[in-house]
Amino acid sequence: MTMTSTVKFAQSRPRGRKIARLTTDLWLVVAVIVVTLGIASQRPQLLDAVNIATVLKSFSIMVVMVLGLTWVIASGKIDVSFMQVAALSNMICAYALAQGWSWGGAIVVALLAGALVGLINGWLVASMRLPALIVTISTAGICASIAAALGKGTVIRIADPGPLEPLLQPALGGAVPMIVVPVLLIAAVAWFVQERLSFGRYIYALGQNEAAVRAVGVPVVKLTVILFVLSGVSSALAGILLASSLSSGQPMIGGPFLINGLTVVLLGGMMVRVGKPNILGTLTATLFIGVLFSGATLLGLPDFQRQIIQGGLLLTGLIVATIAASHHGARTAGQ
Amino acid sequence: MRTWKDRMRHSTRGLGFVALVLIVAAIFGALEPRFLSYVSLNGIARHMAANGLAALGLTFVVIVRKFDLSIAGVAAFCAMSMGALIAAGWPLWSVILAGLALGAVIGGISGIAISRFGLPDIVTTIAVGSIGTGLAFIYTGGRSIFQNFFTSGITDLNDAKLMGLGVSMWLLVAIYALAWFVLSRTRTGLAFYATGENPMAAHFSGIATRRFVALAYVLCAMCTVLAVLLILAESGTAETNKGANLMMPAYAGVFLGAAIMGGTSVIASFGGILLITMLLDGFALMGLPYYYSDGVVSLILLIGVLAFSDGARGTLEALRFLFWPQKPTAKGSDA
Repeated sequence: MTMTSTVKFAQSRPRGRKIARLTTDLWLVVAVIVVTLGIASQRPQLLDAVNIATVLKSFSIMVVMVLGLTWVIASGKIDVSFMQVAALSNMICAYALAQGWSWGGAIVVALLAGALVGLINGWLVASMRLPALIVTISTAGICASIAAALGKGTVIRIADPGPLEPLLQPALGGAVPMIVVPVLLIAAVAWFVQERLSFGRYIYALGQNEAAVRAVGVPVVKLTVILFVLSGVSSALAGILLASSLSSGQPMIGGPFLINGLTVVLLGGMMVRVGKPNILGTLTATLFIGVLFSGATLLGLPDFQRQIIQGGLLLTGLIVATIAASHHGARTAGQ
Repeated sequence: MRTWKDRMRHSTRGLGFVALVLIVAAIFGALEPRFLSYVSLNGIARHMAANGLAALGLTFVVIVRKFDLSIAGVAAFCAMSMGALIAAGWPLWSVILAGLALGAVIGGISGIAISRFGLPDIVTTIAVGSIGTGLAFIYTGGRSIFQNFFTSGITDLNDAKLMGLGVSMWLLVAIYALAWFVLSRTRTGLAFYATGENPMAAHFSGIATRRFVALAYVLCAMCTVLAVLLILAESGTAETNKGANLMMPAYAGVFLGAAIMGGTSVIASFGGILLITMLLDGFALMGLPYYYSDGVVSLILLIGVLAFSDGARGTLEALRFLFWPQKPTAKGSDA
C-alpha cells in the first residue's frame, strides 16, 4: 500500500525512492512550517498565545467535522451534507437547551440526529443505489431548513456555557485548549483503524473497485452505511462544539464549511497516501488552512480573497492528485 | 427505431406528468384561490424562466453523466460583471454578449479541466464555484450595483409582454425548443447522449467525447448567465448573492423530470422545472417561511428520485409477488 507514495522517482534507485517517499509524506508539513514562519515574519502576532489558541480551537472543530468525510471520500463516494448536519446539530443543541434540557440530553439528541441523517444517506446510497451527490445535496437542504426552522430563521442564544466550555478555553500555557487532546486521541484511533484494521483496507479497496470488493464477500452495503453514519456523527459532534464555542445556535453556519471541508480532505489526500484522502493528511491540511487563514486575517485580506485563495488551493490539490494518480497508473500498467 | 410500445410508454409517462401538474395546480388552487390568478401565474412563468434556463444548462451536463456545482458561483460572478458593465454605461446587448462570453470562458475552464485533464467533476466545479463567488466581490467589495439599471432597458426583459406572455417566458420557450431540436433531432444531440451512456463506445464510434463533455459545461455556464440575467432584470440590482437560489431548483427539476419521464431530456427538464416552480411559488403564496423552500425542494427531489429508482421498483415487484404470486411479472422486466 505504501508504493502509491513514490511518484516521480519510481524508476530510480532505492535511495531515491526513500527521498521521494519522504517528500510525498512530509511536503505538507514543510508547507505548514514555511507558511507559519513566512506570516510570522510579517505579523509576529501570529505566534501570540491567544492567536495560537484560536487557531487550535478552530483546528479541533474542523478536524472533528471532516474525520468521517475523509473516509467517505476515500471510499469513492461524496458527502456534501456534512456542514448542514453540523448546522442542524448546532441548532438542535441550542433549541434543546432553550427548552430547559440539560447539556447531556442536548448532546445525545444532537448526536442521534447526526447518526440518523448519516443512516438515511447511507441507506439511500448503498441499498437504494441512488447517486451520492443527489442524496446528500438533498439531505443537506433538508437539514438546513430544519435548522433554520428550529430558530424561526434566527440565532438561538445559549445562556449556560455547559461542560464543553472549559475544554475550549486556552490552557497549557495559555496557548493550547484542552480540546486538542481528545481530538488528537480520536484521530489517532481513526488512524489506527485506517492503517491496521481490515476495515481501513476495505475503505480504500471500495474506492478502487467496488464490484471486486463485493465479489470477495465484503458486506459493501453495511460498510457504506457505516461510513455515512460515521460522517454524520462526526459532523454532529462538530456542531455541538460550535454551539459551545459560539454560545449560540447559528442556522446559517453550515455554508462556508463545505468548501473548507472539501479543501482540507482533498489537500490532505496529497500527502502520505498520494491521491487518497487519509486521516493524517486531513490533520495536516486542517492545520495548514488554519494557519493560512489566521495569517490572512492578520494581514488584513478581506473575506472574499480568502475564498478565492481557497478555491485556488483546492484546484491545485486536485491537479497534483490527478497527475500523481495518472503517473501511478502508468507505472503499474507499464511494469 | 422506436416501436409503438416505446412510444406508448413514453406518452403514458408524459400524460402522467401533465396529470401531476394539473393535480398540483388544483390542490394549490383549492387551498389558496389566489394561486390561479393572473398575477400569480405570471409570477410562476417569470420564476420558471430563470429556474428553467439554469435547469436546461444542467441538463446538458447530466446527459454526459457529470455534475456541475459551480452554478451559484458562476451566476454570482457573471451577475456582478454584467451589473458593473451596465453601470459603466455599456449598451444592453453588449452586456449580455460579454456576460455570455465570460460564462463560456468559466464553463470552458471547468469543462477542459474535467474532460481533458481528468479532474473529478464534483470537486472541480465546487472549487471553480468558490473562486467565482469570491470574484463576485472584486467590483464593489460586496455592495450592490444599481446604476443605469432602469435606463439600460434590462428591466424590459422582466416587464415587457408579447401576446400576453412575458418576454422571459418566450426566451425560455425559444431556447428550450432549440435545445430540444439539437438534442433529439441531430447527430450532435446523439453524440451528447452517446458520450454519457458509454464514453468508450462513443470514442470508438468516432465521437470526440472530451469535446462534448467540455461543451456541456460551456453550455451550462452560458445558460446560467441567461438565468441570472433574468433575475437581475426582475430585481433591478446586481448583488453578490444573486443566483444562490438557482442551483437546488435546477437539480430538483432535472432529476425529478428524469425520474418521472424515465430519462434525462429537454422535455423532462421542462416538466420538472414547471412542477418545482409551481410548488415553490405555491408554498410561498401560502405563507411558508423562506427558510423552508430549500428543504421542500430537497425533499421533493429525494422522494421523486427514490420513488422512481430501480430499488423502489424492485421492492414493489417483491410486494406484488408476495400478494399475487401467480401473476406473471411482465411489466417489471423491461423497465
